[in-house]
Amino acid sequence: MDFDAIVIGSGMTGGWVAKELCERGLKTLIIERGRQIQHRADYLDFAPPWEVPNRGMVAEDEKAEHYAIQSNNYAFNAATKQWFVRDSEHPYTTPSGRPYTWIRGYHLGGRSITWGRLSYRLSDYDFNANKLDGHGVDWPIRYADLSPWYDRVERFIGVSGATEGLEQLPDGQFLPPMGLTCVESAFKAKVEADHPTRRVTVGRCAHLTEPSPEHIALGRGPCQLRNVCERGCGYGAYFSSLSGTLPAAKKTGNLTIVTDAIVERLDYDHAKRRVSGVRVIDAKTKQGRSYQARVVFLCASTIGSAQVLLNSRSEYFPNGLANRSDAVGRYLMDHVVGIGAVGTHPGFLDRYYYGRRPTGFYLPRYINITENEGVDFVRGFGFQGHSSRSSWRRAINEAGVGADLKNRLREPGRWEVRLIGFGEMLPRADNRVTLGERKDQWGIPLPHIDVTHGENERRIAERANRDAAQMLAAAGFENITSNGSIRPPGHSVHEMGSARMGRDPATSVLNRHNQAHDVANLFITDGSCMSSSGTVNPSLTFMALSARAANYAADLMGSGEI
Amino acid sequence: MTSEASQTPKLDRRSLILGAVFLVGGAAALTRFSRGSASESEAGPVFSSDQFALLEQLSEEIIPATDTPGAIGAGVPEFIRQLLGDWGSSETRALIVGVLESVEKQAWSRHGAGFLELPGERRLTLIRAVDEESIARQDIAWSRFKQLVLLGYYHSEIGATHELRYELVPGAWRSCLPLTEVGRASAA
Repeated sequence: MDFDAIVIGSGMTGGWVAKELCERGLKTLIIERGRQIQHRADYLDFAPPWEVPNRGMVAEDEKAEHYAIQSNNYAFNAATKQWFVRDSEHPYTTPSGRPYTWIRGYHLGGRSITWGRLSYRLSDYDFNANKLDGHGVDWPIRYADLSPWYDRVERFIGVSGATEGLEQLPDGQFLPPMGLTCVESAFKAKVEADHPTRRVTVGRCAHLTEPSPEHIALGRGPCQLRNVCERGCGYGAYFSSLSGTLPAAKKTGNLTIVTDAIVERLDYDHAKRRVSGVRVIDAKTKQGRSYQARVVFLCASTIGSAQVLLNSRSEYFPNGLANRSDAVGRYLMDHVVGIGAVGTHPGFLDRYYYGRRPTGFYLPRYINITENEGVDFVRGFGFQGHSSRSSWRRAINEAGVGADLKNRLREPGRWEVRLIGFGEMLPRADNRVTLGERKDQWGIPLPHIDVTHGENERRIAERANRDAAQMLAAAGFENITSNGSIRPPGHSVHEMGSARMGRDPATSVLNRHNQAHDVANLFITDGSCMSSSGTVNPSLTFMALSARAANYAADLMGSGEI
Repeated sequence: MTSEASQTPKLDRRSLILGAVFLVGGAAALTRFSRGSASESEAGPVFSSDQFALLEQLSEEIIPATDTPGAIGAGVPEFIRQLLGDWGSSETRALIVGVLESVEKQAWSRHGAGFLELPGERRLTLIRAVDEESIARQDIAWSRFKQLVLLGYYHSEIGATHELRYELVPGAWRSCLPLTEVGRASAA
């Protein structure tokens, strides 16, 4: 055996698995399909606006030719485009008229560099949901199983936030919260007065407001309120694989990383019921090679991991490795986005803020928790919120030139508050990724992604639009507009569910420890393991599941079971 | 930083030359002005020298020098020229060149002279009218042009740090404080 463990992928979940395994003394290999990245040296975070190429705008022809899909992401700009794949080089297919927005980056650290950093726990409302309403399979775990792992992850990554005592949004191990703006505080007071069970809290985000000795030992420092996080942070002030888990794993001396190595398939030894090898193709030379280890963790992202499993067909797994249930690739979920409302406030004109807070506020789910009356759908939605005073950009579409304009823009404009809904998406069998006929430049079949929203998602969107507009109006906002239209699936970059956990091997891929029901040394801990999507940003949960599964695997290896 | 004063002679020289061209050429000069079109930009410059002179003055009318430098002092015309070369598609280049041509045409039709020949007050009146009309009819080309001028100015070092406020490393978040303590709007 080359290694004790192989981890496929170095992003949010691969980094966590590698850290935990290395700290348990296991010789661990990370296989990353993208290029090597140097923390700090490869970031553009110290460029002021006038030094960013084309003031942050990606050349129009380049964008159209190479980034037609990736450029839909809010974080895509001239200072971050290195974190996004070129769509022209990494195609996938969708059925005609059913677009899917697959946003991703192939490089060390993956999307942990560009993630939104919001860190919320699931609750038992989420873990019980499938069982209660019958959509999807019952989660094989409950909140109590994951709670200590949330603790562990939060302490390590550093999560700034306020405790609220809410059952549907459990508190965690928080660093000091960032404050609400004047308008947010007023909005909070009004919403909570009108709706006693709704709550507005500042964003819980993976930023060091007060680094611990453990953070500092890894070279991480406090957040400087620059809000250029998606470029990568030289202070290491927000968590990424590059600032946190990979340095911690390296410190053990047990970590090996290979980059530019694309996993083509996993070999299966039926006699031992084990993955016997990981076959990779060198991204540059296109030469193949393979690695062996006692245990393999697939952390290649929800769609990426499904692609690897489906491409790993064998005599014993004709539909793809660990796919006796035919659940691999199915039940693909995202969050319903493109919903919510925005409004401006006529007051608070003598109030402002200093610094660029890298997060907003949050209004957790209340529908089907404390407010059930007249609700014609299951599950619910939460709102991320942002407030700011409008900038000079307001003048682009307003009449005005000359000294008058210049003087007017010296003052910040009106306060604007945006409520951005994130709705739960149900797991449905026909929302799935399969392998297409076409192949990529390395000879691997392209993913074919076929996902649509259903009636429940549409009703969630309608209600979220209505509630957002109502809350803004009640709080004295004007010029309220509701987006009203759901963006194509994939847009929230919260893909989940393509190798779900469950209790029954006939209907799910993974057991309660993220271990494949049918392949004892195969674990999958990225978003594909999710049995339901919840309404909160899922990365914190992916990380907690990864840490938990890695330690379970280390236990099994210690006792010789795998 | 370039001061306003050091820019003025250059402008005057350009105005004089262009004024002479238009005096001599009239309508023929307009045709000449329209050369350097977008279709030539792959091989040649984005703007002819005449167009660039107009771009300079037009930007400065939108964001004039006051107690801080204006668009010219902040390098907005050079920024737009560079941007249209490195960033803009041929469609966008044509759109922006079209705005310049349209302003020049309006100067002739409303005031009987080229834009650069008009006295300062007339230029401002004309641009104010063009702006109001274009915004009212949601003219995409004009909004795009105005966006580039504003971006060029407010995200320049002068615009961001002298005219407005910008800290590369704020170092702190103060969530709710009197506007007077910050003084001016943040540029980013």
